[in-house]
Amino acid sequence: MLPKLDPLLHSELRLAVMSLLAGVEEADFTYLKEQTGATSGNLSVQIDKLAEAGYIAVEKGFRGKMPRTVCRITPQGSEAFCAYVKALKKYLSAGKN
Amino acid sequence: MENSKEQNREMTAEESLSLITETLNNSRKEITRRSGKYYILWGALLTLFSIVIYLLWKLTDQAAWNNLWFAMPVIGFLLARLMSRKDTETHVQNDVSRITQGIWSAFGIFACTVAVFTIAYSYVSDGALDLGRTIRAMVSVASLTAEIVLLFGLAESICGVALKNWAMKIAGFVTGIGGLAIYYITGAAEEQLFIFTFAGLVLVTTGLIIKRQYR
Repeated sequence: MLPKLDPLLHSELRLAVMSLLAGVEEADFTYLKEQTGATSGNLSVQIDKLAEAGYIAVEKGFRGKMPRTVCRITPQGSEAFCAYVKALKKYLSAGKN
Repeated sequence: MENSKEQNREMTAEESLSLITETLNNSRKEITRRSGKYYILWGALLTLFSIVIYLLWKLTDQAAWNNLWFAMPVIGFLLARLMSRKDTETHVQNDVSRITQGIWSAFGIFACTVAVFTIAYSYVSDGALDLGRTIRAMVSVASLTAEIVLLFGLAESICGVALKNWAMKIAGFVTGIGGLAIYYITGAAEEQLFIFTFAGLVLVTTGLIIKRQYR
């Protein structure tokens, strides 16, 4: 039986954010926005959802006088991301068979 | 936007995997691309300084122009700070960028300290200012033992950068620069014994500190 795909990760923007954060130690909001091409509002909503689930940690602060939001993937998020990738691979191999 | 992920649509497994691969690759490329400008900065400075110092030395026959080398890290650091300010809008760091930055910082700190130390030693070693001796110290190569202990210390500091461990970073610095100090202070006959015993003791101490840190 195929595993259920994590609904939180199975959305384009949230998955893009998680993929970006999985490859870095930390990234700020502007970098995520630049890389995903999403609007600030939509990205902010999706980041909140991931943070609520405990997949990412969000730190709001300042760099100089400019406000800055820095995001990091949490160990729980890394685990969920790995499980999601494993599940995807199972789906793909099941499709080939 | 071309690569916009605005839609929160459901994707197929293939689309999801390809999105993950594409995002990771693009991010890695972006981080690598950003490091390029610092290579250009330091490469340009190095070329400029070597040409200017060579010409000044040659034209005036004054080897003291070598002191200009000390201006290079200062100017480079200030310019690098200015350039990084432009990046304040977007900030991203991964293991590779942190380690690369750490390796070059460790190299810079070692190189500057060795230069300052060597020159300072040659000034004070015989209690008198001896420009000739200073110049010889600046351009001569130290002993093989001193070079090895410097590289040894640099390697240890770099490991500290990779492992995010301050004890290792500092111990590497102490080993390298301390080893060089021992080289100058002791005679050639004892240098190997003292330098490597010292390096060994610092390594053991580092190991003990790390064990305590992660108990």
